[in-house]
Parts: sequence; structure tokens; C-alpha cells
Amino acid sequence: MADPFLSIQHVKKTFGPTTVVDDFNLDIERGEFVSFLGPSGCGKTTVLRMVAGFEEPTAGSIIVGGKDVTRLKPNQRNVGMVFQAYALFPNLTVAQNVAFGLKVAGVAKAESDKRVAEMLELIKLPQLGDRYPYQLSGGQQQRVALARALAPKPKLLLLDEPLSALDAKVRVSLRDEIRAIQKELGITTIFVTHDQEEALSISDRIAVMYGGKAEQVGAPFEIYNRPATKFVANFVGTLNVLEGVVSDAGSGRVRINTEEIGLKGKLNGSKTGDTLSLALRPEAIALGPRPGHDAKLSGEIADVHFLGSVIRVRVGIGGSKISLDTFNNSSTPPPNVGDKAEISFSSGDVLVLH
Amino acid sequence: MKSGKSWAWVTFILGAAYFFIPLIATMEFSMRMKRGEYSFEAYRVVLGDPRFQESFTFSVVAAVFTIILGVLLVVPTAYWIRLRLPQLRPVVEFVTLLPLVIPAIVIVFGYIRMYGSNSPLPFLSSDIGTSALLVIGYATLALPYMYRAVDTGLRTIDVRTLTEAAQILGAGWTTIISRVILPNVLIAVLSGAFLTFAIVIGEFTMASLLNRPAFGPYLQNIGANRAYEPAALAIIAFVITWGCMSVIQVLSRFAPKSANRPN
Ligand SMILES: Nc1ncnc2c1ncn2[C@@H]1O[C@H](COP(=O)(O)OP(=O)(O)OP(=O)(O)O)[C@@H](O)[C@H]1O
Ligand SMILES: [Mg+2]
Repeated sequence: MADPFLSIQHVKKTFGPTTVVDDFNLDIERGEFVSFLGPSGCGKTTVLRMVAGFEEPTAGSIIVGGKDVTRLKPNQRNVGMVFQAYALFPNLTVAQNVAFGLKVAGVAKAESDKRVAEMLELIKLPQLGDRYPYQLSGGQQQRVALARALAPKPKLLLLDEPLSALDAKVRVSLRDEIRAIQKELGITTIFVTHDQEEALSISDRIAVMYGGKAEQVGAPFEIYNRPATKFVANFVGTLNVLEGVVSDAGSGRVRINTEEIGLKGKLNGSKTGDTLSLALRPEAIALGPRPGHDAKLSGEIADVHFLGSVIRVRVGIGGSKISLDTFNNSSTPPPNVGDKAEISFSSGDVLVLH
Repeated sequence: MKSGKSWAWVTFILGAAYFFIPLIATMEFSMRMKRGEYSFEAYRVVLGDPRFQESFTFSVVAAVFTIILGVLLVVPTAYWIRLRLPQLRPVVEFVTLLPLVIPAIVIVFGYIRMYGSNSPLPFLSSDIGTSALLVIGYATLALPYMYRAVDTGLRTIDVRTLTEAAQILGAGWTTIISRVILPNVLIAVLSGAFLTFAIVIGEFTMASLLNRPAFGPYLQNIGANRAYEPAALAIIAFVITWGCMSVIQVLSRFAPKSANRPN
């Protein structure tokens, strides 16, 4: 990344004695869609608010388009923001809400009207310009909030959990819509969420945050399949964790319970006798052998959950229970609890957590 | 259910009687100026009295200025307290309650001592200055009502998020207060304004001690010297008050509908 559009450098924020964000670094390219993903209280909103200018960093700097904006007031930054609680002005109509930023900027009436119409077209609510916010559904209000944020052509778009107040169906359709609009306009965007599915499905890159730091920044595929830390592995997706002991560091043999598997090249310098945490995604594990799966473990079916298209089976191995998913097949009934079972997986899919 | 309803009616009728009987009696009395017949003679005399017209106009103008001063003072203060200094709210609430505890006479004597003609701020050395001081005094008297009304109005909107939404769209403080905050607390401000108006129209102590030709001292003067006219004046004052209230009702219909609706 030669020339990031937005650069957050060594940003730190303390409220009184507590450090909420600590040495946060992130570069975002022009037109990129980056999500902040993390548990409640990890500092996502705080970082976003520093980018918006609502909080001043205790240390570090924020650069937008080559210009240091760290000390600029929010109304001087030309940034668009969408809030969790919609925050539409209740006394203004939809069209007046969308026009607010344009009016403040002194855009002429004719031009502003044109832009408002364009924006309402973009969010697919062209006929609702005269309504008041209380006459709209939550999803419609949030779309208006998006149009309002975008109308003054901001350099950056910031969204703080914009979908969390909406019901599940609207949430999915609106997130796809947000992504489509973002792509169409090519606007650099930060999207805060604590919903991993949301982050994985719409982001170019995800910054997984924990304790005020970016634990890992990467594309969804990379975050999911190659988590850099134990926290990321646990937080993103369902994960099975097994304890293993290195029985022979040279040949990469690791003993799990009473059986051994080969993990050559994955031990990262662990020595014989070390205990490792090994992680596996449910979808990487098969019940019974499967071509390409070079490792297997045996256990006993602990429980079976029929979820429709997928059956989630848990297999007890030693002291731990391993979840795995099999597709529903009308001709083969699911296994019974208590049956002996063998699971297989590819040693390449095993994540060694640090 | 049924007995609950009839009790409600009984209570209502008792309340209405308590309210209307004195009013009707006053009205009846005010119309007996001419011996042996009902007439509006007392009203004619009162309305035709130039001192009535002068003092009433004076008080209405004073009320308008008091309301403007009160709004300019209270709306930004209450807003700022809610936005940035919530820990100061109890203190400010206490301060705004002081005018209820401290008698107006104490305030006005304080004024007379502080702003005499040889003080650095000689409000009292000219008529216009004294009137200005009176308006300031009225604003103080109305403070408890104005502050509470506005603060209640602010409670119904998400002050912080709306402020931030406006800020990020480029708005400065003047725009935020005039285009976002004020319109959304308009009904609250109007009810504060109504109370202010009512206080100013009837106020006696301050106007009398500052020797301004206000409606309150005029009322007192008439009341002490005439028989039928005070009753007519009471009815007139009552009609004006109710007129104000209806105007506010009508105005609030034009105010943003959603402003009543907490989100
Ligand atoms: N103004 C403030 N004063 C003191 N502490 C604050 C302030 N704002 C945030 N914090 C603290 O900073 C931490 C991070 O808050 P932040 O709102 O950034 O979390 P978040 O990741 O957005 O969480 P959520 O998913 O719940 O929104 C929290 O522990 C919070 O209590
Ligand atoms: Mg948050």
C-alpha cells in the first residue's frame, strides 16, 4: 500500500485513568470498505469517533488524503457518519434531512434539490421526500441517514453499528445495499460491527479489535482461515480447540488424547513435550474418511442437532467435544448419540494457536 | 367500571363548579354597574381608560422582551448542561429554583442598591434603563418555569446524537441550536413563554417598586379605588389568559409533530 487514503497512526485514547485505545495503527486505501469487528467495549466506537473528530486522540495522528486532521473539529472534516440510533432530525422532512449538509455548506437551492433527488433515488426511496422521520420504518430511516451522510460528498463514510437496531431480515438486505452503494460511489468506508457474519460478508478488509488494539487486519478469507491470534480464531467463526502434546518435534508428530497426527511444518519451533492448542473449523472436519484427509481421530457421538440443510454433530474425543457439520441427505439418517465415530480432516486445516 | 365512571363525573362536576362559580359570580357582579339592569358599562369604562391601554401595552411589550431574553438565556444553557455538563444539572436546577424562594421584593431592593445612578451600571438613571432592569427581573422570576419547560423538552430528544449528526454534516453551534435544537423543543419553549407571559402581566412588586407603568400596579390601583371595574378587569385578564392558551394550542399544531415523540 504505497499511498493510503486514511492513515491511523499510533493512536491512543485514555479516559481518565483507563486506556481505551492503545497504539492503534491502520492504513486504508481509497475506496476500500474496512470493518472494525470486536466484542463490546473493545474501543471500536472510540476509534471511529476519533476519525470523525468527536474525540481527540491522547496520542498519535490521523491522516486523511495526506492531510493531518487529528486536531480538526468534526464540522471541518467533510466526513459522513451514520449512527446506530438513526439520528434523523425529527423536525425536518426526509428531503430536508438529506439537504441539511448541503444547506450548511451553502449549496444553491436548485443544485441542492437535484442532489437530494439523486440521493433519494440512490437509496430507492424517491417518493418519500415529504415524509417525516417518524413516518418511516427503521430500515427506511437508516437509509435516509445514509443518504444524508452521503449528500455532501464526504471523503470518508463512517458507520457505527448502523444495522443493530433492525430486525434480521432488514439487516441482511440493508447491509448488501450499503455495500452496493459504497461500491457504486467508490467511497472509503469504515463500518463498525460486533456481528462477525456482517463483517465477513461485506468487507474488503476486517480489523479485528480486542482491548483497544487491532489484533489482526486482513481480508475476510484470511481472517477466517488464517487467524493470527487465539483471540481472532475464537472470535471469528466457530472453532474447535484441542489440546495436543508434541511427541516428536523433528517429524512433526503431535499426540491428541491417545492418537497421533502429523503436523509437519506447522509447529513454529515448538519442542518435543510442549503442549499446543490446535484449532479446527467445523466445516473442515468430516465424519468418517474423506479423500484428501490425512488425519483421523476416534471418539463417540455426543449430540446431534438437525438445523435443516446442515446437521451439526458433536463428537467426544478425550475430554473435549468437537463440532462438525454435515449436509443433510434425505437417504442417510443422522448418526445416533453414543455411536462410535471416526472423524477425519486435513492436517493443513489445523490452526496452531499462539 | 360503571361506578368508577360516575365517580369521575362527580369529581369533574365538583372541580368545574369550584372553578366556574366564582367566575360566574364575578362576571355577574361586573355587569351590574348600571342600577337595575345588566350592562357592559364597567367594561366600557375600563377599556376606554387610557391608563388601561398604556399599562397593558407596556406589560405586553415587557412580556415579549422577557420571553426573548428567557429563551436566549435558557435554551443554550439547558442544552449545554445536557450535552456537556450533566454533572452540573442539580446545581443549575437549584439556582433556577432560587427565584421561587427569594421574594421578588428582595431581588428588587438588591437591584435598587446595585444599579442606582452612581453605580458603574446605572440602569436606574433612565426610564429605558429601568424598564430593561424590570425585564431582567421578570426573566429571573420566570426562570424556574422556563428552565423546567425547556429541560423537559430536551429530554424528549436525543440531544447528543442529534448534535453530533449536525456537527458531522458541517454545522456550527448557531446552526445546531437554531435549526436542530430549538425547533425540536418549540412546544416546550412555547409553554415556558406562556407561563412567562402570565407572570409578567400580573406582576406587581417589581413594577411598582421600580415605578414603571405596568399592568400589575394599575390593577392594584383600580382594585383599591373602584367597585365594578376590578371585576370587569378580572374577567378581561381571564379572557386574555385563555386566549393565550388557545393560541399556543393552535401554534403547537404547526410545530414539528415528531418533536413530541421520543425516539
Ligand atoms: N466518554 C467516555 N468516558 C469514559 N469511558 C469511556 C468513554 N467512552 C467510552 N469509554 C469506555 O471505553 C471503552 C470502549 O468503548 P467503545 O464505545 O469504543 O466500545 P465499542 O467497541 O464501541 O463497544 P460496543 O460494541 O459496545 O459499542 C468502554 O470500556 C467504555 O466504557
Ligand atoms: Mg460502539
